[in-house]
Amino acid sequence: MAYRLLIVDDSPAMRSFIRRVIDLSGFELAGCWEASDGIEALELLRTEWVDAILSDINMPGMDGEEFLRHLAADELLRAVPVIIVSTDGTDQRIERMLALGARGYVVKPFRPEVLREALEKTLAVPCD
Amino acid sequence: MTKTELEYALAECTVAVLEQMFFVHALDAPALAVMAADSDLICGVDFAGDPSGHLALRLSQEAARSIAGDFLGEDEGVLSDFRVGQVVCELANIICGSVLSRIESGTTFRLDSPRLLPTWPGSGKNAVVHSAILDRGALTAEFSTERPVNPVGT
Repeated sequence: MAYRLLIVDDSPAMRSFIRRVIDLSGFELAGCWEASDGIEALELLRTEWVDAILSDINMPGMDGEEFLRHLAADELLRAVPVIIVSTDGTDQRIERMLALGARGYVVKPFRPEVLREALEKTLAVPCD
Repeated sequence: MTKTELEYALAECTVAVLEQMFFVHALDAPALAVMAADSDLICGVDFAGDPSGHLALRLSQEAARSIAGDFLGEDEGVLSDFRVGQVVCELANIICGSVLSRIESGTTFRLDSPRLLPTWPGSGKNAVVHSAILDRGALTAEFSTERPVNPVGT
């Protein structure tokens, strides 16, 4: 099965890295979109359905927390699982993001396999 | 947290970030052994937290280009200076967040957007420094806070 993913991060370099990690891991993609913050992501989600979202927290415009709140308030979008990918590994932040509805949390730095595992777990992908 | 513990945290986080996400092996080096050059790329990240502060990162031009190529999976020879700068900013951002996650584990913090700087900002308050020799050049990171981290008695 091929998946449709959305990467939300204000760093173009980080978005490229995440996309490359996913490609190299053999994860089959039907589509991969990018947004630089929550506002751009919500705009994109009006026209594109995705199976999962990988989102940073610290972003100008709309940050990751606000983005999660908007998703939770939307009848359709609240079903889309979000994995937070952030440098912030503090317990308080992780607990807060999970309480807001994030399904997974990957702390940077991460090894490529950690991101793949988080995606597999979130999407309930059968292991090889 | 003592200054030595903070130095250790900066060193460990820098090595972990370089190895796990930039696929670069780093060797510790005394700060004095790393010579600065005018062509070095310098990046700064301000952070707000308990305490607030700043991380400055200096990378030799060759090291920066090599790291950017590895991170983006592209031929370093075709990367623009702008994209190399973006990767150096991301490196500084992740190192800073990684250190803060260790020393501010009981609180939260906020990172400003990293930015390239024309000159090295100089030693900040309560600064600790880590320098490393990479495959293709050198790196220096300085982490400074407005007051000592978790001073004894608080």
